[in-house]
Amino acid sequence: MKNSVRERREERGLSQADLADAVDVSRQTINAIERERYDPSLELAFKLAAHFDCRVETLFDPTLDTN
Amino acid sequence: MSSSSRQARIRRYRRLMAGSVLAGTLGFISAESVGYPVVGVALYWAGFAGFLAVWQGTSVPLFDERDRALERRAIALAATVFTLGMILLWPTMVVLSEIDVYTPPPAFDGALLAIAVQSGLFALTYGWLRYR
Repeated sequence: MKNSVRERREERGLSQADLADAVDVSRQTINAIERERYDPSLELAFKLAAHFDCRVETLFDPTLDTN
Repeated sequence: MSSSSRQARIRRYRRLMAGSVLAGTLGFISAESVGYPVVGVALYWAGFAGFLAVWQGTSVPLFDERDRALERRAIALAATVFTLGMILLWPTMVVLSEIDVYTPPPAFDGALLAIAVQSGLFALTYGWLRYR
C-alpha cells in the first residue's frame, strides 16, 4: 500500500531502527512497509499514525495503490 | 537503550535461539552416532529448552507481526505444495505399482498417512476457530 512513512520519518531525522523501536517492530518491518512490500496491521498503522501525529488515512493511501 | 543496540540485541537473541537448536541437533546426532542415544536425546531437548528460554526470557520482542505473517504464509504455501503433490502422486503411484513398473518406497505410505492426519487436524482446527 502506498504510504508516506519514509518521507515523514526522514522529515523527523529518524532512522528506520529508531522508528522500529518507537512502534515495537523490527527495522526490517519498517523497511518492508516503506518499500510497500508489507501492509501493516490496523494496530501498527494506528501506532505509526500516532507516532507521526497524523491520521491513518493520510499516512496510508489505498487509492494510490498500484499493486 | 539506543535503537541500534536494541536491534543488535534482537539479532543476537535470534541467533542464540537458532544456535541452541542447531547445537542440540548436532549433539543428538553426534551422541547417537557414538552409542549414547539417551545423552543425545537429552542434548536435543536441552537445545530446544535453550530456544524456549531465550525466546521467553528476553524483555525484547524477538518476532513482530510481519515475522508472524511471513511464517503463516510460508506454512500455508509449504503445506499446500506438499498436499497437492501427494494428491497428484498418489493415484499415479497406485497405478505404477499395479502394473509392476515402480513400487513406491514405504516412506510414501508414511507421507500419505501424514497428509491424512494433517488434513484431519486442519478440519478440526478450522471448525474450532470458525464456530468457537
